[in-house]
Amino acid sequence: MDQASLRVAVDIGGTFTDICVLDETTRELRVFKTPSTPDPIEGVMKGLHEGGIDLSRVVLFSHGTTVATNALITRRLPKAAMVCTAGFRDVIEIRRANKEDLWDAYKDVAPPYIRRRDRLTVPERVDAAGNVVWALDEEAARDVARILKARQVTAVAVCFVNAFVNPVNELRMRAILEATLPGVAISTSSEVLPEIFEHERFSTTVVNAILRPVAGDYIGRLSQRLREGGLKSELLLLHSGGGVMTANTAQDFAGRLAGSGIAAGAIASRHIAMLCGYQNSIGVDMGGTSADVSLVFEGQSRVTKDWHIQFGYPIRFPSIEVLTIGAGGGSLAWIDDAGALHNGPQSAGANPGPACYGNGNEVATNTDANLALGRLGEGLAGGEIRLDRELALRAVERTVAGPLGLEQGEAAKAILSVANANMADAVRLISISRGYDPRDFALVAFGGAGALHGAALAKELAVPVVIVPPAPGVTSALGCLLVDIRHDLAESCLVPAADAATADIEARFAALEGQARERLAADGVPPEGMTLSRSIDMMYQGQWRSLSVPVPAPLTSIVEAVASFHDLHEREYNFRRDTAPVGLYRLNLVAVGTTPKAELAERLPGVMPEPKSRRLVDFDETATPVDTPVYWREDLPAGVSFSGPAIVDQLDSTTVIPPGVQAGVDRWQNLILKIAEV
Amino acid sequence: MSQSLHPVTFEVLKNAFITAVDQMGEQVLRTCYSFVIYNRDFSSALHDASGDSIAQGNHDIAVHVGTLHLTCKDAIRVFNGEMREGDVYLVNDPYAGGTHFPDVRVIRPIFVDGEVIAFAQSNGHWSDVGGSVPGSFDVGAKDMFKEGLRITPVRIYDGGRFCHDVANMIAANTRDPASIIGDMMSQSEATRVAERELLRLVGKYGKATVVQGFAEVQDYVERATRQRIAALPDGTWETVDHIDRDPAGAEGLIPIRIKLSIKGDEVVYDFTGSHPCIGTLYNSAFGTTFSAVVAGMKTFFPDLPLNSGFYRPIKVIAPDDSVVSARWPVAVTGFLMPFEKIMNSIYEIWSKIMPERAMSCAFNLEYLLTGGRDRRADAASIFMFYDWLPGGWGARNGKDGANVTTACFGTGLMAQPVEGQERTSPILCNEMEILTDSPGPGRWRGGAGVRKTSTLGEADQAVISYICDRERAIVWGTNGGLPAMPHGLKLVRRASGKEEWLGTIFSDVPIEKGDVFSRPTSGGGGFGDPLLRDPALVVEDVADDYVSIERAAKDYGVVIEVVDRDLAEFKVDEAATKLLRAEIRAARASWLEADPETIAERYRAGELDALDLVRRYGVIVDWGTGELMPNSTSEFRRMMQLRSAAHW
Repeated sequence: MDQASLRVAVDIGGTFTDICVLDETTRELRVFKTPSTPDPIEGVMKGLHEGGIDLSRVVLFSHGTTVATNALITRRLPKAAMVCTAGFRDVIEIRRANKEDLWDAYKDVAPPYIRRRDRLTVPERVDAAGNVVWALDEEAARDVARILKARQVTAVAVCFVNAFVNPVNELRMRAILEATLPGVAISTSSEVLPEIFEHERFSTTVVNAILRPVAGDYIGRLSQRLREGGLKSELLLLHSGGGVMTANTAQDFAGRLAGSGIAAGAIASRHIAMLCGYQNSIGVDMGGTSADVSLVFEGQSRVTKDWHIQFGYPIRFPSIEVLTIGAGGGSLAWIDDAGALHNGPQSAGANPGPACYGNGNEVATNTDANLALGRLGEGLAGGEIRLDRELALRAVERTVAGPLGLEQGEAAKAILSVANANMADAVRLISISRGYDPRDFALVAFGGAGALHGAALAKELAVPVVIVPPAPGVTSALGCLLVDIRHDLAESCLVPAADAATADIEARFAALEGQARERLAADGVPPEGMTLSRSIDMMYQGQWRSLSVPVPAPLTSIVEAVASFHDLHEREYNFRRDTAPVGLYRLNLVAVGTTPKAELAERLPGVMPEPKSRRLVDFDETATPVDTPVYWREDLPAGVSFSGPAIVDQLDSTTVIPPGVQAGVDRWQNLILKIAEV
Repeated sequence: MSQSLHPVTFEVLKNAFITAVDQMGEQVLRTCYSFVIYNRDFSSALHDASGDSIAQGNHDIAVHVGTLHLTCKDAIRVFNGEMREGDVYLVNDPYAGGTHFPDVRVIRPIFVDGEVIAFAQSNGHWSDVGGSVPGSFDVGAKDMFKEGLRITPVRIYDGGRFCHDVANMIAANTRDPASIIGDMMSQSEATRVAERELLRLVGKYGKATVVQGFAEVQDYVERATRQRIAALPDGTWETVDHIDRDPAGAEGLIPIRIKLSIKGDEVVYDFTGSHPCIGTLYNSAFGTTFSAVVAGMKTFFPDLPLNSGFYRPIKVIAPDDSVVSARWPVAVTGFLMPFEKIMNSIYEIWSKIMPERAMSCAFNLEYLLTGGRDRRADAASIFMFYDWLPGGWGARNGKDGANVTTACFGTGLMAQPVEGQERTSPILCNEMEILTDSPGPGRWRGGAGVRKTSTLGEADQAVISYICDRERAIVWGTNGGLPAMPHGLKLVRRASGKEEWLGTIFSDVPIEKGDVFSRPTSGGGGFGDPLLRDPALVVEDVADDYVSIERAAKDYGVVIEVVDRDLAEFKVDEAATKLLRAEIRAARASWLEADPETIAERYRAGELDALDLVRRYGVIVDWGTGELMPNSTSEFRRMMQLRSAAHW
């Protein structure tokens, strides 16, 4: 290996920018944090500089960003417009008309991303079969282009009814706009998401359109700064589907950057579990205000097309399914008027933070409960932040123990049990199907607070193994480092399975594969690095939701695919209807361009160190606090094993190992907890 | 009851019950056949051994709330002493607490140690349950025999064995047997998901603890509800809302009267004085009236969880054989018409008790049913096109109403995609847009409604039916706000080019290729005096076409000039606005007293339009012919005086 061999991943969060560097020669992984800045690029550059990273040595630079997500939430969006079929100006405002909060008549769905006045229409129409009912009215189209020029828009979404069957009018509209509006990003619904259902397609197209200038600007500036710093390789961006894309792709499919930040943790969690030999895993990324729960089955992350950044505005690009719930270190315990104990979703946030920070909050949080029980020590970040146990105890007393008439220890345990049960409910909700047996899973606990709760949560879920990665607080950044280039292609294919000719479907897949190879080639992926996998979404005819059935290439037979569908339906939903007709719904193609992977360094076994200290810790399994050894994570070499009760402290996290739990360190320095009684 | 549960056990069980129910809902959504269920007209619940509700789903449709325990109890009544593990029961009986025949409930007893400890129930709106009209909504029905199949509790699984004989008999009485069997299975399996979860909890905590949890979660919700009620002043409030007409009776609005009394920690809703049952399907049985009360009240306590504990402090008095307490065999499939009147009346009353959550009237649910033979393919299969539209919600205290939102009977219900409809039916949609000027004017305006216009394509033997209301009992404003606009469907015949006003209630009208039908939904009613609305907000509404320049002047007294239409730039003429507002202020009281016949005449002559009539003059006519509806007008004016004029 020569000198030029660093891989760098950068994950920008609200508070911190995490940077993860892998040296290919030594296979050493280094992770560090720097405060995020208002212009995130400043934070990145500062972090790189502080970390002493020589950009000219970097062969892979990948990046997870919240820039797109934040632009949508804060509505700091470019001046954009929509061009619609006459009579369909309001599809994105009418939506599906449902509410997120069913009962609160004062809570409204957010307004659409493009105001009504900026949604223009032109006479044109295609019917359901793809026949052109009315060709595009070109005079009206030119008038729209003239108006949009006058309004100085920088992004346009062209959204015509039934354009997914026949895009001819959309493409003509696009050409007319391009002639009048040079340099303006134009997205058509038939190119962005050629799938049925106008609101979902239009909404995705609009998100894509308005994010193009945002992403373009951001990526352009970041690439420039990195190039100036000496970076020669291409910038890769993490997308919601769990892969990376090149800067060029990202500018066309900017909508896929929404959710970029959330996917990283799930990917890292999957990777670590697979490394440890677990094909099935549950990722719990618990931070200060919330916990992100994700699920991997047979090596695949659960992927959904049913997601949004703001309710009512679906983004139908495939996305790793992540369920976020209000359970974090700062989540507040409270008792309602009728006497029930709750935990979250309100949070003390970073400021004032938990009561033990001494910044004025007097309501107990999960962090306070953990501190009160001795599970958390009185110093954080290696002693930089002092936590006041007295304040924590007082908060527990005031918030829970007093009102419910419990001992302080019991009250603190009660707070944490409710938090763990809430997380367990979230896991159950994303894994309703019977096919999942918790005993076949491992739980990956990370984020600042994940390792404090991992063992208890695993017990609640009857999961036998907990994996705590080496640097739980910056695991997400690792996720950015370990992904491949990925394109998700799909098209509607609405035919009964009985009428579907294998050769026709094969031809359609072949066409999708042609597109996919073109895209990967444009990304610089050589043919041998391309992996294409197919699936067909199918359903019993008459049903409304489909299941994705993997199929071989070339397609051998539709009959086989239908048989797989019956099996999958039974596994997911516990029943099958062998004699009921099956329909095809959509063809999917996942195109992966494998990036060469460097392996993480493996450690040589060492001997068990002495505890750095001991403290009294109160566990769920013990009636009173017990004398417990506290180890320093970096002192623990590979290959050691020990049993609970024990506490493992490290700079960004604390792992709780209850009595009866067997702990070990593997060769990648993951801490593996084996829960005995499940 | 022994000592109460540990707070953690209680909280864990409480949330686990709700999660079990939500898992049922998730499974139904993923496996259902009925497009109505798919669009979220369904609900799920867990019940204790007596049938009372322990938990309902977080995303359940409002209209089923408060009815599920009644059908569970009915199944218990029928099968008491003969239940077996693996049994599943089916019921859709509105006379036993069900909603209407299309809402079919699947109920599974859950056994532990040979004893029933609970029931899981999945309720969903099937696409058809027979009767004389596709979709099973016949507005010509006066009794249940034309409406559809009444299913009193039957077994569809007997000790785990699928009762194909019974299931097939039920399916054979519908227009889509294959899907009906599919939905039966989908819902049955969903109840099994809840069973699995409940058994997990029993395994972990023991039967006694879980059963105690059932009781404690209900007591908890009861306690929370009583505390909220007790914190409010005692008192009595009254209002009346109306159904448009009795098609079998004389012209005039049909009153639904509600008197609400708070005494201590209890609430009584008394419907005494409401009109007797009417000669169409717009009647409500007691179960659904109770549900409307619960759903209306819950809107003002959005954070309280729902189970039978919520119902305990509520008492409902409804006179037998009234439009809010119909009995067998009176037709009740259109019960949502009285239902939404009850909900809106309850909004109005609670708005007085809690002004910080006040809200004016919402648009009326509408439901279009078209069916016939699809001639696009040679096979000429039957098509069924059922459609419902969102509309505007009432303006609020300090906030405009919500634009284009689903009807208040179920805010989770989704509007259907045109692209899906055009694949399955030979109907082309020409327009599906927000309707300018649909919002009821006010200092805070109502939310905007929509208009959908469709053309029948290659089809024959096509008929159209419509279930709607508030063509005459127009969506009202409060606190000085104005009414919105009439509902009703308009048909333009291709052959004659003639426009026909079909209104809000009609059945089986034949239509032909090229005929165009158009339905608006009303915006919400206004809140507060429209002459006090900030002109800057009116300009914004004009720039977005929610309000036209013409009605900005007529309704708000705001005179707006176009600065640059291409750039969507407008501005207020301040001086002219001041003058116009003074003019309207001086004249408007007299408008409400103008001779109605003269106003109707001016409408017929084209000098005034429908919005002028309802917003300025309070005059109700047949919107097709212009014929005055004298009784409806006088009652509408009386209410408009109370709700609008009295606050100017």
